[in-house]
Amino acid sequence: MHGVQLDLLAAIMRTSGSSARTTATRWQQLGLADTARLGPGAPWVWLTRFGLTACGRPYRAIPPALSRLAHLRAVTAARLALEREPEWRAGGAWWCSERRLSSRLGARGGRRDHLPDGEIHWPDDSPAGLAWAGECWAVEAELTRKTAARTTAIMRELLTRTGDYGVPAAEVLVPGFRPRHDRVLYLCSPAARPTVQRARAALAPPEAARVEIRLLPPSARLSRGDDP
Amino acid sequence: MIRRYLAWRFAGWLLPAAWRLAKALILAAAALAAAPATLVAAAAVTLAWRRGWPPGRLARAAAACAPMLAAWLAAVAVAAGTPAALPAAPYRAWLGMWHDAAAGRPLLAAAVIAPLAIPAGLAAGALAWSRRIRAMESGSSGLSPASAVAFDLRQWRHQVATARARIAAPGSVPLNTGNGSVVAGAVIRSVGHRAGPVASLPYQRMRSHQVVIGATGTGKTTLLLRLWAGFMAAAQQRYAAGQGPRPLLVVLDCKGGADARRIADRARRVLREAGARSTAVWPDEARLSLWDLPPGPLITTLLDLIEHGTGAAAYYTDVMEALVALAVEAPCGPPRSAQELRDRLDAGWLSLAYAATGQAADLALIRSSARLLPDIALRYRALFRRLGAGLDGPGGFGDADAWYCILEGTSEPAVAEGQARALTDLLAQFATGGQDREILLAVDEFSAVARRLPIWGLYERARSLGLAVQVSAQSWPGLAQTEDERNRIAAAADGGLWLLRTPYPEPVTALAGQRKLTDTSRRLRRSRVWSEEGQGRTALAPVADPALIRGLDTGQVAYIYRGGVTFIQIKRLIGSPPALPRVTAPEPPTAEPRPATASTPDPATPRAGPAAASPDGAARPSIAPPAWATRAHGPVWPLPPERRPGPSGPPARQPPSAPEGPRERPESSPGNSSENSAAWPSTPEPPPAPADRRPPGLTAFLDAAFGPEPAAGPAGHAARSASDQASSRGASGARRPTVTDGPAKADKAIETEGGP
Repeated sequence: MHGVQLDLLAAIMRTSGSSARTTATRWQQLGLADTARLGPGAPWVWLTRFGLTACGRPYRAIPPALSRLAHLRAVTAARLALEREPEWRAGGAWWCSERRLSSRLGARGGRRDHLPDGEIHWPDDSPAGLAWAGECWAVEAELTRKTAARTTAIMRELLTRTGDYGVPAAEVLVPGFRPRHDRVLYLCSPAARPTVQRARAALAPPEAARVEIRLLPPSARLSRGDDP
Repeated sequence: MIRRYLAWRFAGWLLPAAWRLAKALILAAAALAAAPATLVAAAAVTLAWRRGWPPGRLARAAAACAPMLAAWLAAVAVAAGTPAALPAAPYRAWLGMWHDAAAGRPLLAAAVIAPLAIPAGLAAGALAWSRRIRAMESGSSGLSPASAVAFDLRQWRHQVATARARIAAPGSVPLNTGNGSVVAGAVIRSVGHRAGPVASLPYQRMRSHQVVIGATGTGKTTLLLRLWAGFMAAAQQRYAAGQGPRPLLVVLDCKGGADARRIADRARRVLREAGARSTAVWPDEARLSLWDLPPGPLITTLLDLIEHGTGAAAYYTDVMEALVALAVEAPCGPPRSAQELRDRLDAGWLSLAYAATGQAADLALIRSSARLLPDIALRYRALFRRLGAGLDGPGGFGDADAWYCILEGTSEPAVAEGQARALTDLLAQFATGGQDREILLAVDEFSAVARRLPIWGLYERARSLGLAVQVSAQSWPGLAQTEDERNRIAAAADGGLWLLRTPYPEPVTALAGQRKLTDTSRRLRRSRVWSEEGQGRTALAPVADPALIRGLDTGQVAYIYRGGVTFIQIKRLIGSPPALPRVTAPEPPTAEPRPATASTPDPATPRAGPAAASPDGAARPSIAPPAWATRAHGPVWPLPPERRPGPSGPPARQPPSAPEGPRERPESSPGNSSENSAAWPSTPEPPPAPADRRPPGLTAFLDAAFGPEPAAGPAGHAARSASDQASSRGASGARRPTVTDGPAKADKAIETEGGP
């Protein structure tokens, strides 16, 4: 994630809002993170270059873009909602963020691949014996309405892609190979939901069966009431 | 008298000899004094001779040392504290070098003089090597008359060895340079072109017409694959950077046969490495639809496919054109298959179709030529039977990044001629149809099918459409039917001519022109060595030596462009091996001929979409691809999902009553597998998607995290049924709230915040 709001940071750390604020302040004093009030709701926290280096992440240190605040919050809230479930822990699932996927593409100009907002990897050898163990899911958070055609195209690209991100173009779509994403999880706002459903209906039945649509959790809302 | 004469002769011999000796001594003294530079120059000349380098390479190396020299001078100036020390710096370094050498410190001596001696030695070596080459070329040097020829042959061997070593070194010959130029291989020798270690063509030259001539087994296919892959990689890079449209490579292999299919497999693997996402092999694995042409071009193409005479026979041609136009431009829309066209070439069908329009002229024409319609239908039946199902769709050039079209020009030239005509018409229509693609049309052995479509006509047409055409042939006579056509093709090749080993290169080498040389004639002594007397004159010699081209080895090519020639050792591209099979390929079932079925729609009923008509009687089954071309043995062209029929029924636009035909590629439905085997060889489909059904527990997991899947409804509709509410309860029994549970104001905030 590019950044997180303090209330969600508190949820991640399973602590109170004041403790999260104290922790963020300490990170800021150490030069690991920056905080600022970028939009409505709680202040945002993001890692500085020093912080990213300390975490071993090769990303560019940039504050969250204002135009993406709502989207970043929605993705983080969706991730938290998933991670709260017992199946998540039992299955040993892990989240691969859009930022990590993007870093694999490197500095190539003219990026043509659509990146999901996140990927969920379910290990093969999960002790919980989940029926979907070994799968990889793409997660898309939809807040605004795209056209149904565009959404269908994105769904199709996610469902048919066979290669990892950052591989040569020839390996992106190899017929006969197992698709990279076994499932695509669409988490929508009420405004975007009809479009996403129409887009799924435009797919062939075997592909449509691999698209799950749910509404975003309430914590995905970017509002003034979230200040802890 | 005799003594005086002898003394005179002796003096005449002694004085020049003394002068030569003095010169040699002076030169030796100077070389000894400048020993470090002399050593470097000697080493550079020896290396250039051994590697066959041009003098320019040594000169560039000397120029590359300039930063080192500048840094050394700067260091001297800083150490001395004043720039005034710079003029004396070389002398001081030279003096210091000798002092260190005398003191037994050879390494320090070398380090002191190296910044000065290396560039100076390289420059002196370049000068000496240039003089040597020029002297040998003009014949003014060498001990014997054969020296110049022997020197040239020896240099050629050295240059070839160097080029072969370069292409053998991993990574030394990339597919493209950093600026997007296409690299063909390592340079052996260049005349009139810039000499560099690798031969690279600017991308724009790949967008111009080119001609490739080379006999079988000379490396022509290797060269073509290299050029195609280079074009694809460079164009993909430009496309990714937003500097150009997507590339499209269309190869017409007019020889056909098993060899063409092997090359198609190589091309597919090489192009995949170059960035092509999909390569379609026509007609073995992919199809094109002739019926996607607009009515006007479709009529023209259909008429061109049929051979018709002149003179008195022109009358029948006119009648045929009128009737085909009526069939194509019928009120119910153009035909969508060969069978549908044949069914329309019937007096009853046409009369019924045009009865509602009230066009008396059309009806009169149909009545008057009713007796000719069966003949015309018969001709088209024979034509489409020969053409096969490859042009009956579905599919278009836009479906893949590269198309490898195999035309059986050797075994069935008449069929290949018709296919070539149709394919070029389809490509022309595609290029003019608003499809923004950077197209390279590569035609191999087009002369085999050029009787009905002159290649210079294709050139002219391609130029107007913005296509680049690359024509290849085994020899100059094989390039076209007549000498005039051959000259027109070669003259229009503004992207250059590639000449591999061929026994008759003169017509092409003449296009490279001539260059001026100094030709020196000298007197021979009795011992067959040169005397010192002679004269020189300016002579003209061919830029591209035909004898050299006749003797080219496999994998060597001469690239002629703008009055210069570069001899290149082609770097062979090795594509990745086919993907390992994931499932075992079953034995292809025996092709069963299908009876022709008439399913022409009601002519009086206008139709929006294409009708599902089974194709012709399929008396000529399409060519079955070899085992390596099957899906199980490697990636094949992916049929776009929207063009695939659903797994449980015919395509949406197909009437239920219509019999299953090979217009659409069959899926793994057992009911139609044998029926379609003639047109689409039975190949194992990819394994089904691993998650066609929800695994148990998945819905509960997602419902617990986010609530149940919302019911379809208008935007903002947040109401859910009671059952949904109940089912959204997770394992703990408490339903998790969703965003719809928040206040309406908050929902609106999310909708208006903007998203990805």
